[in-house]
Amino acid sequence: MNFSVETYRLENGMPVVKLGGEVDVYTTPKMKEQLASLIESGSQRIAVDLSEVNYFDSTALGALIGALRRVKEQEGSILVIGAQPRVRRVFEVTGLDGVFEMYESADQASKL
Amino acid sequence: MAGIQEADCVEIKVPCKPEYVGVVRLAILGVANRMGFSFDDVEDIRLAVGEVCAAAVERAKKNNRQNTDIVVRSCIADDRLTIDILDNAGRREELPADFNIDSDPRGIADLLITILVNEVNIIGNDEGTKVSLVKYAS
Repeated sequence: MNFSVETYRLENGMPVVKLGGEVDVYTTPKMKEQLASLIESGSQRIAVDLSEVNYFDSTALGALIGALRRVKEQEGSILVIGAQPRVRRVFEVTGLDGVFEMYESADQASKL
Repeated sequence: MAGIQEADCVEIKVPCKPEYVGVVRLAILGVANRMGFSFDDVEDIRLAVGEVCAAAVERAKKNNRQNTDIVVRSCIADDRLTIDILDNAGRREELPADFNIDSDPRGIADLLITILVNEVNIIGNDEGTKVSLVKYAS
């Protein structure tokens, strides 16, 4: 399976879900698990690192939207870090680049 | 016959389950590369086919039809790649005309597919759906 998921924290303490490979209908549940776990433990601002993702489909986008709705209930947000051009395009053509905070790198997000 | 081009066709059949959608994407990658599409066009085709298959898988799960198959038939002609994706996952649910992507992510797949390929044709019934995608060669 060409997929990986790990969690780390930025210098400012923000949790980051770092994904790798292909995030699709098969692997998205694992991303959802990580996001749900962080939200349930009280995280309101969560970053999703897509710098090593080469496939990101509507299932994955839908899961991100679901997570965003949950954190918004606590006035939180979901940040998207390092989306490669092909993945970024998916956000752009669906207009979701205006819904999520998009950053080029973890460094930028850590300065928040 | 005038107007009809010969085409080489590649067909793959996989179980209508999430773990096999990646297999279809890989096969389509090979077919699209065979045609000499640009990198961006190949990625567009891969994503479009992936979206159609993912939708079939989700529908199969919802309709308890995970024991059915998805058949993907791709035909290479001089000026286009035609991909038919057939499933028996049950009836495809139509989205309301005023759906909102923020509140209804199901529409994301449909939107993506129409942007990624040149032609989309969908035929459905109670048994399943046939989605035909066409990508023109540059």
